[in-house]
Amino acid sequence: MTEQKGSLTGEHFMLGDHACAEGAILAGCRFFAGYPITPATEIAERMSVRLPQVEGKYVQMEDELASMNAVLGASWAGVKSMTATSGPGFSLMMENLGLGIMLETPCVLVNVQRGGPSTGLPTLVGQQDMMQARWGSHGDYEIIALSPGSPQELFDLTIRAFNLSEKYRTPVLVMTDAEVGHMTEKVVIPPVEEIEILHRPLVSRGDLEPDHFRIYRASPKGDPGYVSPMVKAGDGFRIHVTGLTHDERGYPAMNPEANELNVSRIMQKITANQKDIIQLEKEKLRGADVVVVSYGISARTSLWPIDQARKEGIKVGYLRLITVWPFPEEFISKLAEKVQAFVVPEINMGQMVREVQRSAAGKTKVIGVHKPGGDILDPRDVLEAIRQGAGIRQEA
Amino acid sequence: MTAERIDSKTKPRIMTYEASSEGDWITGLHPMDDLLRGERLPHIWCQGCGLGTALTSFISSLKWLEKRKGWDLDKVAVVSGIGCTGRIAGYVRLDSFHTIHGRAIPFATGLKIANPELKVIVISGDGDIAGIGGNHFIHAARRNLGITVVCVNNFNYGMTGGQVGPTTPHEARAVTAQYGNYEYPFNLPYLAAASGASYVARWTTLHARQLDWTLRKALTHPGFSFVEIIAPCSTAYSRWNPEGKGLDPENLRRRGLEVMKHYQRVGKTDHGLHPKDAHIKVNERGEIIEIIEGEFLLETRPDFEEAMNQRVEIAEKYWQREKAALDKRVSLSIKKKKVPRTEIQLGGFGGQGIMSAGKIIGMAAAVFNNLEACFTQSYGPEARGGAAGSQVIISSSPIHHPHLTEPTSMIIMSQGAYDKYVDTLAIDGVLLIDNELVILPEDHRTDIKTLGIPATKIAEEAGNNRAANTVMLGFWTAVEGIVDQKAMEESIAESVPPKTVDLNLDVFRTGYQEGLAQG
Repeated sequence: MTEQKGSLTGEHFMLGDHACAEGAILAGCRFFAGYPITPATEIAERMSVRLPQVEGKYVQMEDELASMNAVLGASWAGVKSMTATSGPGFSLMMENLGLGIMLETPCVLVNVQRGGPSTGLPTLVGQQDMMQARWGSHGDYEIIALSPGSPQELFDLTIRAFNLSEKYRTPVLVMTDAEVGHMTEKVVIPPVEEIEILHRPLVSRGDLEPDHFRIYRASPKGDPGYVSPMVKAGDGFRIHVTGLTHDERGYPAMNPEANELNVSRIMQKITANQKDIIQLEKEKLRGADVVVVSYGISARTSLWPIDQARKEGIKVGYLRLITVWPFPEEFISKLAEKVQAFVVPEINMGQMVREVQRSAAGKTKVIGVHKPGGDILDPRDVLEAIRQGAGIRQEA
Repeated sequence: MTAERIDSKTKPRIMTYEASSEGDWITGLHPMDDLLRGERLPHIWCQGCGLGTALTSFISSLKWLEKRKGWDLDKVAVVSGIGCTGRIAGYVRLDSFHTIHGRAIPFATGLKIANPELKVIVISGDGDIAGIGGNHFIHAARRNLGITVVCVNNFNYGMTGGQVGPTTPHEARAVTAQYGNYEYPFNLPYLAAASGASYVARWTTLHARQLDWTLRKALTHPGFSFVEIIAPCSTAYSRWNPEGKGLDPENLRRRGLEVMKHYQRVGKTDHGLHPKDAHIKVNERGEIIEIIEGEFLLETRPDFEEAMNQRVEIAEKYWQREKAALDKRVSLSIKKKKVPRTEIQLGGFGGQGIMSAGKIIGMAAAVFNNLEACFTQSYGPEARGGAAGSQVIISSSPIHHPHLTEPTSMIIMSQGAYDKYVDTLAIDGVLLIDNELVILPEDHRTDIKTLGIPATKIAEEAGNNRAANTVMLGFWTAVEGIVDQKAMEESIAESVPPKTVDLNLDVFRTGYQEGLAQG
């Protein structure tokens, strides 16, 4: 049988959080460190049951600082690793997310967003961490973040998150939410051989003399999108890595020039590969007067009002950000020249809408549909915003 | 003030660095140069600091283990946090990780658990391990994780200029405790032992030899080993405290030496002493007047790895069970029918299986009837205190909006749920109740279709009152006709405990027949 041990190929009626765990297992994740937090706990629960079945390791850490940090350690041991959390834990993980980015460590961090700020609404939905995902850790960096709208997509995107993290040697965020995480729907787990699984570029003992190895080598051909191959601890390369600004060898280099090279490398490997990383779902954009730009659960709940508006004769396009970061700035900027308005529904008081505004740069109207966390958006509010974007007066 | 070395005059080395020059540093002229990154020397430590000795002892112990115990030093990983001691990771020619402040231990935890073959050593300072990383320290000890933690304790935050810390003795001085420290320090061996460490020792850097021996023991110890090394801080701590006062601040080497001599005078070796009594005593001026050193604790018990691996067999059993259920699944070739969006509300009290009933409907629709189904349950305060609610949406087209807007179908098994939900049911909607648990009020809605069945009684008579929800499901399946009977039965068979499958299917059919009769 070609089936990988431990894969649940078949059709399931599965909780979103569990689908996330199954995706991780299939992607090759064999280490999970976490700390219980609603509404992400079910991911940890499922991983604690599943990992020992596939020779993986589960460890419940003392807090989210430690969880994210242990994930980095495991990744340097050569094992694909993941953690999952929600708002308050996400805040704590920012510290080690920064270390992960600086050390160029592949790993996946899932944020099942709930209403905030602070302890906020533990059991209820929010999309209020979108900007924190981009800017939450200190210093300059680029980040990859994906946003699923259903348990099936949470499964699919968890696999993609692992692939991207391995390919670009960087932490990848899955920015889901309480609604998707706690929803049970049909999840189809395909046969293992049908799933594309990527592994980090790895130099092994024998490939190269340890002396010649550079853990952060710049591209020999000057390619800005180059990703330096990695090694794993114990393979004889006697590497050194540090959160300090470092040179190609990973040694501290305390000067502005080294910092420029260091920061450019971690940013450019993402910006130069945007085409590969950014995934968008586009529907009826050609000739649209109004385009709804959204992501995750809010994109999904916008489909009904979009249908309604079309029935009313409004030409509505639909642009769903499957990859939320890096932001498809260029695409939206070009689209802004052709449409009357963008409508941006999201469960926060206005986060990704700022990116849309920035990309539209005044070329078109941008209408946000916002509410703080607690519930999914009312489709009627989205419909009203579409009408407004199309220049139709609101009925009294 | 930061003590990171700034080398602004020189051109960035990164541009001019020639590959393969590390080897040049291994000259054989020094017995340890194969384990030091010569290209990174000189180190940043002050003259008179104890860290050089700590590093030397550490390397000696590794060399001994390599030579006498056949250790492959490629399998050794050193993890540090931030601070003067944290720099050790940068000077040893081993896999070495200079992480962030306080987080060396969890990083080491990930390394060790992911690859148990590695020998993982954390070397960091007192601020890193007992201050910002204190929580990680006690938890790694509690797990008896098979790593070694070496804490070089110089009683203050040296790299940032000598601030008071969690190990600064009571009444001692520091930049941020110039009137004397009014807090009390940790006794680190006691803390480690109380937290679950299975090997605990302390030496000063004066005991280079003993330290070497102790580290050999710690590194080969199965389980969490902790070694505290008391080291003089010739620049910061000595400047403020009686041990170093009056000594020429320009001559740091001398000052460090004098402090070390002081530690020698007050040192007392007491192996096997209860860690509680392994104190560092000070007088009223904060002057250290006694340091107990030695090996305080050595216990053997299963470490984290061993304890974890003992569970693998159980995990395998769980897996076989789950896989068997999946393999057994039949594929029903039920023709997909057109179902408009149908919203179903289920309600009752905790323990009636309101959640499972919703999930069974959803699974029957999604997996066995080739429809779309979305199941959600009510979380939050109402989930406690007895009330339970769950929602299912079924449709033959994608379900965009995952919440109920106006349910057309309702399964209600308690008076509380009736009161809560009945008004939300659409006009002409169908309300199914357990008619022994729900008493309809006189003003019960007449614009809906209400049908009842004594579900709990039927289940009780069949021998298990917990199957009442299944009776309701049979009733609902027949009345509504959205999901096929066969699909429901398969879903039930997969969802209920194996021993109760037959009973559940029996009562499901009873409910179904009653539904056909009434519907």
